[in-house]
Amino acid sequence: MRKNKNEQVPKLATWLLSRLVNGKYHEEFLGDLQEIYQDRVSTQGRTKAKFMYWVDAMHLLLGFIYVRRTRKNHADMFKHNMLITFRNFKRYKGSFLINLIGLSTGLACVLLIYLWVTDELRMDKFHEKDQHLYQVMHNIPTSEGIQTTETTQGLLAEALAEEMPEVEHAVAVVPPSWFSGAGILSNEDERVKAKAQYVGESYFEVFTCHFSAGSKANFLSKKQAVAISDNLAQKLFTSKEDAIGKSFYWDQGNLSGEFEVVATFVAMPDHLTDPFDLLFHYELFFEKRPFLENWGNSDPSTYLTLKEGVDIEKFNTKITDLLHTKIPTSKHSLFIRKFSDRYLYNRFENGVQAGGRIEYVRLFSVIAFFILLIACINFMNLSTARASRRLMEIGVKKTFGANRRMLAIQYLSESLLMALFAMLTAYLLVLVLLPQFNMITGKEITLAFNLKLILGTFAITTLTGLFAGSYPAIYLSGFQPISILKGGGISGKLLGGFGEQWTRKGLVVFQFVLSTVFLVFVFVIYQQISYVQTKNLGYKRDNMVHFPVQVTDEEESEEKVQVFMEGLSRIPSISSIGNFSHDLMGDHGSFRGLDWKEGKEDSEIGFRNLEIGFGFLETLGIEMREGRAFSRERGESELNAIIINEEAASVMGFDEPIGKTVRFWGADRKIIGVAKSFHFESLYESVKPCVMQVWPGAENVIAKIEPGNEQVVIEALEEHYSIHYPGLEFEYQFLDEDYQALYISEQRVSSLSKYAAIIAIIISCLGLLGLASYTTERRVKEIGIRKILGSSVWGIAYLLSSEFVKLVVIGISIAIPISFMISTTWLENFAYHIELEWWFFVGAALIALLVAWLTVSSQTIRAARIHPGQHLRHE
Amino acid sequence: MKKRGLGEFEELVLLAVCILEGQAYGISVKEEVEKHTGRSILLGAVHITLYRLQDKGLLSSELGGNTAKRGDRRKRLFTITDLGVRQLQEAQEVRQKMWKLVSFLNMRTS
Repeated sequence: MRKNKNEQVPKLATWLLSRLVNGKYHEEFLGDLQEIYQDRVSTQGRTKAKFMYWVDAMHLLLGFIYVRRTRKNHADMFKHNMLITFRNFKRYKGSFLINLIGLSTGLACVLLIYLWVTDELRMDKFHEKDQHLYQVMHNIPTSEGIQTTETTQGLLAEALAEEMPEVEHAVAVVPPSWFSGAGILSNEDERVKAKAQYVGESYFEVFTCHFSAGSKANFLSKKQAVAISDNLAQKLFTSKEDAIGKSFYWDQGNLSGEFEVVATFVAMPDHLTDPFDLLFHYELFFEKRPFLENWGNSDPSTYLTLKEGVDIEKFNTKITDLLHTKIPTSKHSLFIRKFSDRYLYNRFENGVQAGGRIEYVRLFSVIAFFILLIACINFMNLSTARASRRLMEIGVKKTFGANRRMLAIQYLSESLLMALFAMLTAYLLVLVLLPQFNMITGKEITLAFNLKLILGTFAITTLTGLFAGSYPAIYLSGFQPISILKGGGISGKLLGGFGEQWTRKGLVVFQFVLSTVFLVFVFVIYQQISYVQTKNLGYKRDNMVHFPVQVTDEEESEEKVQVFMEGLSRIPSISSIGNFSHDLMGDHGSFRGLDWKEGKEDSEIGFRNLEIGFGFLETLGIEMREGRAFSRERGESELNAIIINEEAASVMGFDEPIGKTVRFWGADRKIIGVAKSFHFESLYESVKPCVMQVWPGAENVIAKIEPGNEQVVIEALEEHYSIHYPGLEFEYQFLDEDYQALYISEQRVSSLSKYAAIIAIIISCLGLLGLASYTTERRVKEIGIRKILGSSVWGIAYLLSSEFVKLVVIGISIAIPISFMISTTWLENFAYHIELEWWFFVGAALIALLVAWLTVSSQTIRAARIHPGQHLRHE
Repeated sequence: MKKRGLGEFEELVLLAVCILEGQAYGISVKEEVEKHTGRSILLGAVHITLYRLQDKGLLSSELGGNTAKRGDRRKRLFTITDLGVRQLQEAQEVRQKMWKLVSFLNMRTS
């Protein structure tokens, strides 16, 4: 039988209806719909019938979803709430804008800080065994307290793996940071600088390293085998496949030699504290330093993976005991820390973990939280203050049976929507600001939308929305409809209630406490940074350029460096040159065992060891208190002479140090001079006792350039360098820039906190602006009457402003002791720091007060100037 | 329960149900109302009103006969309850009383 075409009712509509309408209606409705469809097909045509079928079906659908949900009509309530919300936004554009700007700036701030914090927290965490990956740290007692280093005994890894059942694998690694500079790879005519890491055999069991060509077995097969990163392979050879089996010459001090590439590995992620390009065998390193056989000497870092459930405390005692069985006289101790803590928890004081970068992470998390809090407070304050406009709505809703919960939900959804808008705006802001932000923080953060970020922002938005909406939701929903609708109470008791006034004022005070604290902190940081940068360090650092020269063989280095430097002295506009070992700013290494009198007790004091060339002290302008500097003319005899600094002189307690003999490293040395105290380390440290020896082959050259000729001289230097070291990049630095780089994290903190303070005060003032405009609006009639009775514009402006200014003053006076405490604590981190001046506090207070006063008076003066007739004519 | 008045459309639907005497279901009610008022009415509106009246206790219903035209589905047939009849009468009386009080309307009818 032919199926009657007329029975073909629209399927989708039927399906929708049967899905969304309670089953008990199906038979009747579908029947009715089909019947009427049949009739219409015959009278009005198929198209019209189909159309009407849809109309009827949807109508029924809407109607009977409603019937089914008479008790739970969330959808309708939601629709209604949204409508009311949008109407309110449209109607009160001013407060909407203030809320939007405040919240979105706050959120953008939080978002940026969130990105930064997650980036910081990711450091060194990418290894597969991260959970069980530890580094052995080494505590060395010295006269200045316990020093903690990463260098450990050369045989430690081996011993740990063999003797400790808790250890799964242990490996000795010499990280790139151990070497003062990069090494050079050369392959026929290509020369590339690269950072090498020397690793023991278990390295691949402990760390994650993905090979892109070749394998672990290839690497372990022979001593001269090397694994290089993909990037390096591409630079030196054409591709990674091509690199395998190729040999190259490696140039790094006494570790130089011919090597063969047997494997390439996928470049490590950026989130690595100590990046490297090549892996060599630790054996090579060990062979060149036979004294590492002795447990008294330390060089490599030791990493290990622990088995499940090991008690760290007990393990620490066990490994220290192990060390003491190897050398019974040792006072040193060993302990382990999580490998991934090395970036964030990098500072040790007296052998105990004492923070590090994590402090900045915490500081900025707190700042982000407070900025968001200030923004939320604005939102709360404005919503409650403007409650009177909404009171009628609330009263009417309540009389129609809305309960408190429904109203609370309405306000919460309103603020959630607001937070959502603000979040979208914040995202735009972040996109715009990110390049600038990266410049300040020295990171390469991108706004990559991953699940974590989306969930994170979603959580922040929701929390912000709920928090900002919580007070209005609880407060506004609690009104009694009767007192609202009676009318009289609105502007009187109801809104002027003590509790409510107090809360709002308290919140404003709180905002200004935070803003002022930020401001003072910014002052302090700026002063400290500029103090540090202009402090007389005991040497000159302007117009000093320095660069390393590559020394391959220690035997030859003296001659090579001398030849190189003679060439330099012919360049015009260089007024003086010198050379030095190590790094002028940071680690010089120190040594013990300097004997300056009979007996034993003097040998445990550590002295910083500076190895300098001729001309170094003169070039840097370091003054001598007495005696003389090293002199080239005296030649060989100078090798037995030392210069000490004032601190060393006082430690040794000589009245007349010149000419005295001290003994270290198995030789007698004569003191020929005492240098005036100069800061050779960061100002976090006090100046340490220091011994200077002459080493003409020191590999860092420093030149003083006559001012104004920097460009010419650098070019000349570059040319000279390329004659001696063809193909290598000339990497130079200015000493003053170096010095600034030493305080790079302080500079970052200072510029970040500057922005944080600006944002905090802007947001606080936005809130104040909103409140002030609202108050003046409410008191407009009062103003009119006062004016008629003879008040002056200024009198009224004063009257209206004083209320707010009072709050700000209270805020400021609470902020000052708090900021005093915070800045004192921060400054204590520095061995040399500024004293807190009264004007930091007065300055911050004045700025806060002035900005707040300007904000408020912009509103009040405007209100006070309006002709009273305009205020009162409505009565 | 508070006594509530009948809406205009509700009254029309109730009357149509009475007219149809046991044959009142969605479509027939729709057609009946359309026939008398000359308005075009949506089926859904009729259904919604029928159920609202049933919720108020003015109508009762049961599933009745099926036809091929309906795809072998049964109709829901509505009948008026006693309460419904009373409400209709009350509505009628109220109007009558008020009509009587409007003098110029009475003049015209007499």
